Amino acid sequence: MPKLRSIKKLPKLDMNPMVDMAFLLVTFFMMTTTFKSDMPVEVVIPLSQAELTVPEKNLCTITIDKAGQVYIGLDNKFDRKQMLGYVAQQSGIQVSADEFERFSLLTSFGVPLDQLLDLIAMDKTERKRYPQNGIPTGEDNDELRNWILGSRLANPNLRFAINGDAESPVYKVKRVFDILQDLNITRFNLITDTEKDAS
Amino acid sequence: MLPELDEIHVEKVNQRESENKTNKRAVNVDMNPMVDLAFLLLTFFMLATTFSKPHAMELLIPAKPKEEQAEKEMAVKESKTISLVLLMNEVKWYRGITEPKPISIDYSSLESLLFDLNQNTEGMVVLIKPLTSSTYGNLVDVLDALGTSGVQRYAISDLSDFDKAFETNAGTDE
Repeated sequence: MPKLRSIKKLPKLDMNPMVDMAFLLVTFFMMTTTFKSDMPVEVVIPLSQAELTVPEKNLCTITIDKAGQVYIGLDNKFDRKQMLGYVAQQSGIQVSADEFERFSLLTSFGVPLDQLLDLIAMDKTERKRYPQNGIPTGEDNDELRNWILGSRLANPNLRFAINGDAESPVYKVKRVFDILQDLNITRFNLITDTEKDAS
Repeated sequence: MLPELDEIHVEKVNQRESENKTNKRAVNVDMNPMVDLAFLLLTFFMLATTFSKPHAMELLIPAKPKEEQAEKEMAVKESKTISLVLLMNEVKWYRGITEPKPISIDYSSLESLLFDLNQNTEGMVVLIKPLTSSTYGNLVDVLDALGTSGVQRYAISDLSDFDKAFETNAGTDE
């Protein structure tokens, strides 16, 4: 009889170590995961053999889409607020505290100043459907310049990365280079995908 | 009287003991739902994680020339300047400025060309001249080829009248 009893007890496994492992892995993946930020446009980045990685912090991403429209994004919420503060002050726009808060949740955006408050007022799904026209970069209404200046003032350690679509017209990209050069930002990154070397 | 009280006391103790026993059993929680959830999260995060980060190439552009330095441009021998005019699907390259003889080459063979030129020309300067019909992808291709072929000095420059002629030619071809 005692033999039989011991056999019946065998299927009871101790699950604790497995559960420990599962939670350990869950915590690990939760910590390391970085979610793709919510971009207003999809860009197909060009290929290169570059091996530098893009810095994760203190990064200002200037996105140029297929049509040559320009979007700007900062990685830090507080920097975004300060950037808006500078731009609002320069262009004389009245921005309420609530609007500041809402703007700081936008990872990336690209609208002319006169549409900015409308964009801030929208909710997430509305904003996705809203066609953003890009930040004007022309000689006569160079709004991108103010945004870059504002971001630079918000965070002096900011690095700049250009996230351009491979199909975007080169003169638009050149114009962004010129603006950066004009602001004495002479070192920046071009975001590319690693090319699989055929050889 | 006394034996009766005793009985009650014993009964109460027994009752308490039995209560304790049931409490101890209640500690044995069913962990299965928690484990299910843990594995669900685990699979989600494992699938959602991307370990490959985007790469970047660094680009240095010259600082804006200051007022007093504007006139002092660095002289470069014409024979050492290589111009690359970027078109949609090909590059026209030529040496020098006064009597350019443009040669067409496609983007894939640009790297070996630049490597050869760089070996044979000391202090070579490459001028990249993107036409308006070219794309940012073309520019990145060229910058990449320059980087891998070890060319030290290059600049993105404006189009000369000679270069602009390519644009109109390309326009009429289509």
